[in-house]
Amino acid sequence: MSSFPQAFTSRRSFLRSVSYGFGAVAFTAMQRSQAIGADASSLSPRKPHFEPRAKRVLMLCMEGGPSHVDTFDYKPLLEQRDGKPIGKGKVPNGRLMKSPWNFEQSGESGLWISDLYRELRSHADKLCLINSMQCDIPAHPPAFVQMHTGISTSPRPSMGAWVLNGLGTENQNLPGFITISPPPGVGGSVNYGSAFLPASFQATRIGSNKQPIAKAQVANLKSPRPSTLQQEQLQLIRSMNHSAQQRDPDNSFLDGLMEAHELAYRMQGELPEVIDLAKESSNTNSLYGIDRPETADFGRQCLMARRLLEAGVRFVEVCHGGWDQHRNLKEDHAEHAGATDKPIAGLLADLESRGLLKDTLVLWGGEFGRTPYAQIDDGRDHNHTGFTTWMAGGGVKGGMRYGATDEFGYEAVDNKMHIHDWHATILHLLGLDHEQLTFPHAGRDMRLTDVKGNVHLDLLA
Amino acid sequence: MPLGDSGPAVVPGDATKSLLIAAIKHTDGLEMPPKKKLTDKQISDFVLWVDSGAIDPRESKGESQSLPTKKTKSTDHWAYKQPSLPVIPTVADQNWATTDIDRFIAIGHEQGGVKRNGDATPEVLVRRLYFDLTGLPPTSQDVKTFVELCSKDLQQAIQSTVDQLLSSERFGERWGRHWLDVARFAESSGKETNFSYPHAWRYRDYVIDSFNRDLPFDQFIREQLAGDLLPANDDQRRAELMVATGFLALGSKSHIERNKKQFEMDVVDEQIDTVTQAFMGVTVACARCHDHKFDPIPQSDYYALAGIFRSTETLYGTIPVIQNNNPSQLVSLPAGADVTINADRLTDTARQSLEKQINELRQKRLELTRKKQFASSEFVQSGILLATLEAKLKAYEADGTPKKLAMGVRDRSKARDSELFIRGEVDKPGEVVPRGFVSVLCSTQPKLPSESSGRLELADWIASTDNPLTARVMVNRVWQHLFGRGLVDTPDNFGVSGSNPSHPELLDYLALTFIEEDKWSVKSLIRRIVSSRVYQLDSATNPENFAVDPDNKLLWRVPPRRLDAEEIRDAMFLVSGILEPERPIGSVVATGGEGYTGGIERFGLLSESKFKCRSVYLPVIRGRAFESMDVFDGVDGSMVVGKRDQTTVPTQSLYLLNSPYVMDLATSAAKRVAEEERLPKDRVRWIYEVMLGREPSAQEVESALAFIDKAKAQSAPTGRLVARLRSPNAEQTAWAAYCQSVWASGEFLVRK
Repeated sequence: MSSFPQAFTSRRSFLRSVSYGFGAVAFTAMQRSQAIGADASSLSPRKPHFEPRAKRVLMLCMEGGPSHVDTFDYKPLLEQRDGKPIGKGKVPNGRLMKSPWNFEQSGESGLWISDLYRELRSHADKLCLINSMQCDIPAHPPAFVQMHTGISTSPRPSMGAWVLNGLGTENQNLPGFITISPPPGVGGSVNYGSAFLPASFQATRIGSNKQPIAKAQVANLKSPRPSTLQQEQLQLIRSMNHSAQQRDPDNSFLDGLMEAHELAYRMQGELPEVIDLAKESSNTNSLYGIDRPETADFGRQCLMARRLLEAGVRFVEVCHGGWDQHRNLKEDHAEHAGATDKPIAGLLADLESRGLLKDTLVLWGGEFGRTPYAQIDDGRDHNHTGFTTWMAGGGVKGGMRYGATDEFGYEAVDNKMHIHDWHATILHLLGLDHEQLTFPHAGRDMRLTDVKGNVHLDLLA
Repeated sequence: MPLGDSGPAVVPGDATKSLLIAAIKHTDGLEMPPKKKLTDKQISDFVLWVDSGAIDPRESKGESQSLPTKKTKSTDHWAYKQPSLPVIPTVADQNWATTDIDRFIAIGHEQGGVKRNGDATPEVLVRRLYFDLTGLPPTSQDVKTFVELCSKDLQQAIQSTVDQLLSSERFGERWGRHWLDVARFAESSGKETNFSYPHAWRYRDYVIDSFNRDLPFDQFIREQLAGDLLPANDDQRRAELMVATGFLALGSKSHIERNKKQFEMDVVDEQIDTVTQAFMGVTVACARCHDHKFDPIPQSDYYALAGIFRSTETLYGTIPVIQNNNPSQLVSLPAGADVTINADRLTDTARQSLEKQINELRQKRLELTRKKQFASSEFVQSGILLATLEAKLKAYEADGTPKKLAMGVRDRSKARDSELFIRGEVDKPGEVVPRGFVSVLCSTQPKLPSESSGRLELADWIASTDNPLTARVMVNRVWQHLFGRGLVDTPDNFGVSGSNPSHPELLDYLALTFIEEDKWSVKSLIRRIVSSRVYQLDSATNPENFAVDPDNKLLWRVPPRRLDAEEIRDAMFLVSGILEPERPIGSVVATGGEGYTGGIERFGLLSESKFKCRSVYLPVIRGRAFESMDVFDGVDGSMVVGKRDQTTVPTQSLYLLNSPYVMDLATSAAKRVAEEERLPKDRVRWIYEVMLGREPSAQEVESALAFIDKAKAQSAPTGRLVARLRSPNAEQTAWAAYCQSVWASGEFLVRK
């Protein structure tokens, strides 16, 4: 709860204190939804289309394209054919490159996971590896935008905005969609924007991946004035609006404005506390790897995300970038996996112990994977025809490997999961039918999945 | 209905034209199901279903049910028919209406059973006029003058004020901005990579000037679509006309696209989408992949238009660097044109230094090429730098004067009809469609010349008095900006899936008088509307009317509206006394040159606090709107926006209460207050008059002074706070906090 004193009484008692007309409270509430649009009220929780398996989403975004054949898609043939041409695809004479990392089977399920994600091995039985991912274009910006919005060629709402459109959010003192440390490039705010959906569905951004999360702030969340002065200000604004309301009793804008000011004030009280990690125990810090420099940043992001989800935020995205290893794969992939492995393992353990994992859908993945053949000596090129993401928690089968690429890991061949299918399946887990979740714009009913997308039911628990 | 490779399977409302019916009847060589024909009863059920409009029963469930299923044939839709001059209604109350517009509205009041509001006070009315026509609040002197004039002759006061506002330069800045929303104006490519469009500002200035000059709207259309093909007497005029076509060139683009044909078709699609929505309120781009789902726009119409735009070359610039596979040339403006130049001459020394750098980079890249280090970051970085410097050099004439460049279009050397792409996929070409217009809107398709694109003919057709939509769409846009809601509430979509007009006769009346009496003069149209009695109505709510007509469709009041982003920022600057009213020369995007927008960002050119101009002149980078615009639903040019959101959300409150930017402004306001008045109660009065356009009540003065006292006590100067607010003393901090509170109040943020 907020440590700030409440400057306002509740909206209801405020309205009661304003004497005008009969049934004014109900009337104003009704009118407000007309006058200020669906925005303010439409964040209130809504029933999904059908019984959901997950109630909230945490997306662990790996910007740059992590190599699937070095992490979660084990291809023993690469070792046997190391240095030989792949003999297929766009670059038939591309020389296959064995993974520099050892793979091991883990958990009861025996999922193959490489040494890059050693810590995560202990959670293998929670993971549903999707080895058959595909997207449309092997270039970062369009692929990244497609991963977030379905279509890269026109501004479309981000998945998180669609989820708010479908479900609203649980905690009205906090934003419903938060993105932590997103990259400013590769489409920028489009990736967490609301496009033609109401503006209140866009994500609130905390920091950017150009700065450590420990230094990040939410825009304007902190008052530079002494809090007593700000309370006086709010009191003054309230009395000004009150007197304006006496002149024009049913002016619904004033009501909406006061509600927004009040909510802002509550956010200002509650959000800093939710994202303040200072009081976390050293046990928690070490669980997330916050006590070690190489894992501290992503660990903080994950812990902040967990706190936000627990506080009732519907959709949280965290981001670790830099996976684009055209060269220097061995060193740099080790660094990026090293930065994320421990925090993710800690996060899954924490979510489970708090009883949150069962209805929190955790997503891991980048905009595409990397080629099984080498580029320069020690690197891999972009590969969008087959790559891996994984899901955990919220109603997905753990310890499962879903779909498959060919013998080299070049191209998805079995149970192909296009990004549209991925989106459709995520919405399905949240109890939303991707064909029914529409919004009229530019003459037609728009969807996250455009005119495509199939739900893959086999990976549901 | 989905278009198969041999044409539409179902033509709603017409079974005889539907392939599906032919197929199940086993006529025309199509036999479905192939082995066993359906029973006659089954076939006749299908015929009945198609004839009655082929309604998709799935549409009647779930949340997606936003579109009414229409039983009428979509070609009968009201918007596709010519407007006809309606009879002016006779109303019972002869005293209220002063114009014909009022009679159309009054008859609605009478028949709809609402009791309209009384007239707004002169104080409210003058603020309404100033904001609506110029986007700025009146000064306290303006208010006094108007109130005085009103006491003599209300109608006369309105007329003279309206004339004064319409002839002010501020008018074009306000109404030009409305058009820039529709024209999705921006100064960068947006999309996945974001390249600067350093010459886009010329189009912005052209739009503002056109509204100020009251360029007839039909001519405005012709110039934007086909200025390059219109006659010009001199270089000056030629330049203007070329700049106008920037309209077609400044849409969002995926410069990274590797497939050239895909890129071409995406640019054409963006043009078709913008042109048809902006001028005619139809969503033709829906027909790229299949026939329009709701409107009678077959896929062939889309490709008929596509032929016109594919015969047109779009000139938007950008440089050939990594992530840009599609740079183009720019328009060179004629040498004799006296156009704004926002760069200095290139001195000989500067040229030599540029050339030296370029040569060095070329050498370096030759070496890297020899070593086959194509993927090295050195190779990539030097490539970007080289292209940037080469573009910089190319921007000057040989004698060092900056070239006069613009975005725009020109006809290709050969006109060509476009093939129809099956499902919109560029690798699936179908039959070639002759270039033409939207068939439901013209009785016969035109014969377009083979030697030119047909763009001029398209412009003439859109701007013609025979087009049933063009005038209606524009008068509706104007109406919406004055009444908060259009007569048609979906200003960019007059199609079957759009809203029906609340006052169809009034819409036609306005459209036809706009053409015939106003001669497409937007100023005359605005004058006509704001001179009406209905525009003078008070904005208060009324529970009885609300019960009958909650959306105020009948216009029993003028609905209050939250000021838009530009108005809020401009008003804060104006009342703080720091608004620079002159148009800045060009744009900072231009000073950054060609390249990624990241460049101008890194140079710090996009820091919002650097700008004191009106908001319409702020740089517009797609996906990177300034906070003052973004927070209040401003647009960034990523799509056609005829109607902005009007949200009231907590991020706005946080912005108004906590943003250092607003606090700095409030400090400026406090300084001005201190210069204007000495006594606290006079200061409060001054603030009310300047910021809210009225005098405060005694109680309001009292609570203001109480606030100032408390605020002074609480802002005992601690070092950090003072540094932050740049305020020398508690007094100023208190007044700044007061001004800021006024800005966060409903009265400031709303035009009633």
